Amino acid sequence: MSGLAPSEDDLIAAARGGDAAAFEAIVRLHGPAMRRVARAITGDDALADDAWQDAFVAAHRALAGYRGQGSLRAWLLAIVRNAARKLLRERSGHDDEPEVFTLGLAAGWGEASPEDVAVASRDRAQLWAALDRLEPDDRELLVLRDLEGQSGDEVAAALGIALSAMKSRLHRARLRLLAALTHPGGPR
Amino acid sequence: MTTPTATDREIAGLRCSEVLALLSSWVDGELTGAQRGAVEGHVRGCDVCERFGGRFAAMVQAIRALASDDDVAPASLEQLRQRLRAP
Repeated sequence: MSGLAPSEDDLIAAARGGDAAAFEAIVRLHGPAMRRVARAITGDDALADDAWQDAFVAAHRALAGYRGQGSLRAWLLAIVRNAARKLLRERSGHDDEPEVFTLGLAAGWGEASPEDVAVASRDRAQLWAALDRLEPDDRELLVLRDLEGQSGDEVAAALGIALSAMKSRLHRARLRLLAALTHPGGPR
Repeated sequence: MTTPTATDREIAGLRCSEVLALLSSWVDGELTGAQRGAVEGHVRGCDVCERFGGRFAAMVQAIRALASDDDVAPASLEQLRQRLRAP
C-alpha cells in the first residue's frame, strides 16, 4: 500500500487476508449508506440495526468469494437489502397498483390550496417521517434510486425487474411520498 | 381537505394527465428534447402543472439531499467487532 489512503481494492485484498482494520475501513466507508437502506426497507431503527449487523457479518464471510463484479458498494447494498427483507419476510400484502392519475390527486395535483410541500420536504425529519409511512417496497426504491443515487439500471438489476417496470414503480413511489408529505395525517 | 380542481387541459400538445405521467422522466432527465420541450411548454402555460411539477421536483431534490456523510455509530461498530470475533 502507498502512504496515501488505501484504495478500495487494497482494502478488499487486505480484508480477505484477515486484516480486521481493513474490513473496518470498509464498514466505515459503506456502513452509513447500508444503514440508510436497511432503515428504509424495515422502517424501524432496531430492525435496521439488526439487518446492518447481519449484512456485515455475511459480507465478512462472503468476501473471499467476491470477484469484483460490479462495485463493492452495489454488492454490499444487495447484501443489506437481502438481510433487511429477510427480517421483514412475514410482512406481505399489496394493493393493486392505482393509476398515476389517482396517485397524483392524492398527492395534491390540482388542489386549489396545496400545502407548502416545498418547505416540508426541506425538513429532514418530516421527509423521513413521510418515507416511513410508505410501504417497504416504495421506500427501498426511493432510497436506492434517489437517496443513494444508484443508476436506474443498477436498481432494476438489484430488484430483478425490467428498467421500464422500475421506472413505473419509482414514479408511483414518488407520488405516494408526495401524498404523504401533502397530507401528513392521511391514510397510508 | 381541499378539493381537486384539475381539468386535464391540453396545452402545448400535452394534457395535464400526460404531464403528470412524465414528471419522473422529466426530473430524471430521461425525456427526448421534443418531449422535454412539450412538458416545459405545458408547464409554462398551466398553473396547476407548474405548481405540482415544482413541488414534485423539489421533493425529489430533497430526497437526494438526505444522503449525508453520516458516521457509523460507535456502539454498532463495537457490536459488529464482537460478532466478527465470535467463532
